[in-house]
Order: sequence, then structure tokens, then C-alpha cells
Amino acid sequence: MKRRGEWVSAFIFLLPLLFTLAVAFLYAFVRTVYFSFTDYNLFQITKFVGFDNYTKLLADYRFVLALTHSLVYAGIVTASQTFLALMLAIVLNQKIRGLTFFRASYYVPCIASSVAITTIFIWLMNRRGTVNWLLTAIGRYWPFIITGLALIVLVQCLQVFWERRHGLPARVLDPALFGISLLIGVVGTVILGRLGVVQPYPMAEAAIPWLTTRQTFLGIPYPLVSIMMLNIWTTTPTFMILFLAGLQDVPQELYEVAEMDGATPWQKLLHVTVPALRPVLFLVVTLGLIGTIQMFDQVAIMAGTAPLESTVTLAYYVYWNMFGAGTLPKVGLASAAALVLAVLTLFVVFIQRRVGFSEKGWYS
Amino acid sequence: MRKILLALVIVGLVVGVGFAQDKVTIRLAGYSGDTPLMQDVLVRFVEDKIPGVEVVWEPITEDFLAFVLRTLSAGTAPDIFYVDLYWAETVAKTGLVQPLDEYMADSEILSKENLIPVLVDAYTVDGKLYAVSKDFNSLVIFYNKDMFDAMGVAYPSNDDTLATFLDKIVRVYNSREWYGACLNADAARFLPFAFAAGMPFLEEDGSAPFDLAPAKYAADWYTTFNRLGISATSADIGAGWPGAAFINEQAAICIEGGWLIPPIRNENPTLNFGTAFLPTIWEGGPRGNYLFTCGYAMPTNPPSGRSDLVFKVIELITSPEVQTYILEAGHAIPSRVALLDSPYFQQEDSFAQATKTVFEATGLAGTLPFTFGEIGGGAYMGAIGEALTLIMQDEATVEEAMNDAAVKLDLE
Repeated sequence: MKRRGEWVSAFIFLLPLLFTLAVAFLYAFVRTVYFSFTDYNLFQITKFVGFDNYTKLLADYRFVLALTHSLVYAGIVTASQTFLALMLAIVLNQKIRGLTFFRASYYVPCIASSVAITTIFIWLMNRRGTVNWLLTAIGRYWPFIITGLALIVLVQCLQVFWERRHGLPARVLDPALFGISLLIGVVGTVILGRLGVVQPYPMAEAAIPWLTTRQTFLGIPYPLVSIMMLNIWTTTPTFMILFLAGLQDVPQELYEVAEMDGATPWQKLLHVTVPALRPVLFLVVTLGLIGTIQMFDQVAIMAGTAPLESTVTLAYYVYWNMFGAGTLPKVGLASAAALVLAVLTLFVVFIQRRVGFSEKGWYS
Repeated sequence: MRKILLALVIVGLVVGVGFAQDKVTIRLAGYSGDTPLMQDVLVRFVEDKIPGVEVVWEPITEDFLAFVLRTLSAGTAPDIFYVDLYWAETVAKTGLVQPLDEYMADSEILSKENLIPVLVDAYTVDGKLYAVSKDFNSLVIFYNKDMFDAMGVAYPSNDDTLATFLDKIVRVYNSREWYGACLNADAARFLPFAFAAGMPFLEEDGSAPFDLAPAKYAADWYTTFNRLGISATSADIGAGWPGAAFINEQAAICIEGGWLIPPIRNENPTLNFGTAFLPTIWEGGPRGNYLFTCGYAMPTNPPSGRSDLVFKVIELITSPEVQTYILEAGHAIPSRVALLDSPYFQQEDSFAQATKTVFEATGLAGTLPFTFGEIGGGAYMGAIGEALTLIMQDEATVEEAMNDAAVKLDLE
């Protein structure tokens, strides 16, 4: 009797949420399934068309492009942001000077509005923007960079060799010696440049149309590569915070034991940190996959700049068919595409759970 | 006793609020960018003019067509909403927008005869008028006089042809200081030239016309500027749109409508500029242009339940007083016939002259309404915009890109 009372109380407390879910999710989902089998434009009577919308989807080259883009985007962005977030978290988990400043700085892209960040990014990726300016600078001054690096390595090796020859225990990357090498390397490069021994490479100004081209990089359109970079930059800090929280829970003893066993930093990362962070990794990868497969806003903002076929993703394809074409909405086609997106999201997360990181902790 | 008093106070408040809400509220939705102007208009010309009516301005920041379709289908559309000519037919075909013919036939202030005929035709679908045009616009060449003077080049003129215009832009280009032009791969700027060159909207069999010779000729000319490096897109030079590049004096010319005039006045009021018609295809030959307009429409079941009052508000916000005020503030060209002889057009300053050029350009032969019918502008303009992008970036030849655009539109 008591258990039944508890069950009723629990149900009453859950009721508001269940009601919201039923209306906002279940009802909407059922309607979407229904619409996906109809020809409907919001203003006419629905007409049942069976699987027509699904066959139209498969025949639409834009849908195939959108599906491919979504999968590639999800794979690359999720992997990159997870890796970078983990690395950043490990670095920011050290006791270093200005830790709070660095943590705050890295988190800024996350709290800024998506529209503002995307607008800044569009500006950076202009044909005559900062990214192309940097590429031009690197392309023209690589002889100086190479010379500088070579000088630094050479002077450092000479110094270490000299010290060791005199019986002093100098490390290869001894900071004091490295400071001298750096100074000599920079000054030497400047002198060689002034003497004309080293000259800039005669390269034309880089003018890659990052946001407006149909050209591809490893089969991925440049505009989509740009959006990937933007997304990695803006979402990495959030996941970094999750990893930081997870790192606080890793017992210090494990690292001490590993060190006693002679583990290198890399081995400690692979065999202590990563297994201990498995539940967080599961969360980060799952959230990352869901967010990237359903990515919409950045494509929508860049839609005016980039060719549709270079950036279209499944979520944007759904929107395009509803409101993007300046015609009455193709609700049936958009609903079918939305369902494909939902099933794909579930499928990818399921596969990730089975093959990739599971939520079980290292101790299990 | 206290409880009784409290109950009386509450009842009094409820009744008071009830009486206070006796006013009919009419919701007017438009582009968020129009907020200062529309709020100003409502305060000056509408507030307290119709007893018992309160007009509330609702600025919309989302895609406006999406907003209109969504609210119409849900039965929550505002009493009055903007309708851009670009998608007017799509909205009219929903069957949920009221034809205004009968209201206008009975009105003494706002009849069809009061409006410029081409604007009435633009919003007429299947013989019924679905929106009252509030203003209109067309494309003109905005040029920076100082840049042309500095390079010793004659200003663009109304007599320019494609060839003479190109020659002027080549010569006004200053590789260290400014671009000759700021042109985007924008179908709305390119299509007037293609239509003037002889490209039909669609071929007779309903297929896409982009692979026809006139379309390729126009595309070749339009993209030459960027291919020669004497013009840049606004994205290339970090300007939000070509108008911004012109205001910032990064380019000597741009092709825009009257909407560029208020930003110039606000952001660079001392800019020494002039305006000219779009060039003709050859000397004395055809000239193209687009007529852009935006109007007010009301749904079949306005939420106020008072279609008569809603129309009265439309009468007020398109009245001669309001349109004169908007014209003199340099915001838009009025849609009323009576205002076409406004003394404002006779003023000599650049802003009034620019408004006059835009107005005169609208009346020239070859000016077409900016609409794409049932095909939808998204597919039509998307295909051509992408082709222009590819040509401008040397990623495809004119031949390849235009043939490809035709194939894409045919697939829609």
C-alpha cells in the first residue's frame, strides 16, 4: 500500500514533465510520422501518398549530399572536439600560473552568441580575411621560419654537446640553454634576411574563397570545412569543462602508482586518465554526435554566403524544404527527412555506445 | 469584514481591467529593421485616430515568409503583416489572406485609383488584390563622385551601355585605394541585365532559360568585373553588403535601390555621390530593372475579429500624410499616385536626387516586378547565384556554369 502511494506521488510530480513531453515531443513525433506519408503544404487537405516522400528523398541529390555532409561533419567534429577538449582539460588541470585566466579565455567562445561568433568567423574567413592573410604570411616567409628553426636546433645541440662534454648534466630541452638558442636563432635569421641570404618566397596572395567555393579539401567542401573549424572552436570549451570536472575525480594514487611502475606521461594518459574518464567520454561523445548530426544554426547563418550544395546538412535540408525555397512548404518531404535525421541520430549514438565509449567507469 | 473588503477590491480591479481591455487591439507585424520608423509613424499618425483601437507594432526577426506561413496555418497571424512582392503569390495562394478589393471600392481614402497602377497589378493574383503596396523601389547605379573625379573618369550616366559602363569601372579602379565596383553573385542584381539581353523568364516548354545565349552574354558581362579584379564581392572586403562597401568608400560604384539612401544619410552623410540608371545592353537598346515593393495584407480571420477596423488602420498607415513623411525622411518612395509630383523630388541635394532616379527608373520600359510566381525565388535565384559565384571565382566557365544552372532548375 505504501509502495503504491509512493508510486502515485512520483507520478504526480512527473506529470508536468510527462505532459510537456507528450505534447511537445510525442504528439509532434506522431504528426511528423503521419505527415511523412502525405502530400501536404500546411494549407491544403493532406493526401496519403505512401512511401513517395521517402523515394523522392533518395532520388534528390541534395538529400544525398546533406546526408553525406552530416555524417562526415559529425565524425570529424566530434572526434576533433573530444580530443582537443581532453588535451585542454589536462593542460588546465595542472598547477600553472594564470590558470583562471586561461580557463576563462578558453571558455569565451562558448558563452558568446552563436550568431555573433559566426559573423566574426565569416569576417575571418573572407577572401581577404585574417586566415588568408596568415596563409600568405606563412607561404611567403617560410624560408625565414625554416632558417630560424634550424638555427635554434643547431645552437641548442651545440650547447648541450658543450655542456655534457664538460661533465654538466644538460637536458636536451634545458630552458636556460633554449632561451639562448631562441635568441641566437631569431637574431641570426634577421641578420641573414638583411644580408639577402634568406629571402621571402615569391608567392601570390592567398585568396582561398573559404565560404563561397565549391572546391573541396579531401572531398569535403571548403565552406563545410570552415563551419567544422568554427564548431570545433565554439564547442570544445564546453566539453573541456566536463573533462575538467571528471579529472578532479581521478584518484591521484593511480598516477603515483603508475609513476612508480615507470610509466611515461603518454602511458599515464592512455592507461590511467582515459579509462578513468570513460563515463565523461561517453557523455561528451554522445552529446557531440547528437549536436553535430543535428547542426543547423551555423549553416543557416552562412546560407547567404556559401553555395547551398557546399554546406547543406540534414537539419538545414529539412528547413529548406519547409521555408527556404520561397514556395509553399513541402511538409511531407521535410517530415520524411526529419525522421531520417532522428533515426540516424539514434543509430549513430547506439553504434557509438556499442563500439566506442560506454558509460561504464574504469572500475567496472 | 476585511475579507469582504478584499473581495470587493479584487472584483473592482477585475471589472476595471475588463473595461480597460474594451479597446480593440490590432497587431501589425513587419521587419524588425523598420521598428524606429513604424513606431514613429504609429505615434504621429495612428495613435488615437480611430476611437477604441490600439495598434501594436510586432517586429519580426525570423525569416519573414516562414513567420507568415507558420502563423497563417496556425490561425495566429497578426491583423496586418508585411507581404514582400517576392513571395506575395505564395501567400495569396494559401487562401488565408483577405482580398482587399471590396474594402478599397468602398473607401474614400484608399482606392485602387489612388495607387500607382503597376503596384496594384503586382499584388493582384487571379484578379484579386491581396495587399496594399506601402512603397516601392528599383535598382540604380550609386557612384562616388570623388573617386571618379580623382581618376579623371566621367560619371556613370543614364546613356551608358554595358560596354561604356565597363570601361568606366576599369578606369576608376584604383589598385591602392578602392575597387571599381562591389558586385556580389546576386541573382537579383544580375537578372535585370539578363532579361534586358533577351533571356525569357522560362523557355516556352517551361524549362530553365539559363543556357540560352542572352543569359550567357549577360553572365559574361556581369562577372567580368570580378574576374578582372577591378570589383570585389562584399564578403571579400569584409563589408556586410555592397551598400556598406560603398558607404565605407571601398568601391566606386554599387548597384542598389533606394534602401541605400537612409544608411548613407546616417553613416556617411558627407559622401559625395550620384545615381544613374542601369546601363542599356547597347546604345539606345533595351534596359532592365526590377520593381521591388512591400505591402500590407490582412488574414481572412484577423485576431481582432474586426476586419473593418484593420482596413481603417491600413488606410491610415498608407495615407498621403504618412507617405509624405516617409518620403521626406528619405526612407522610401510612396505608392500613391498623388505624391509622384512631390516637391521633394525637385530638391537638388544628392539624397533627393537619388530618390528621384530610383523613382524614374521604376517607370522605364523593361522594369519587371521582382517575383517568381509558383516556381519560388529560392530555386530560381539559388541556381543562378551559384553559377555566378563559380564564374566569378574562375571555378567554371560561363558556358559550364550557366548550363549547370539550367539543369539544376529543371530538376526542381
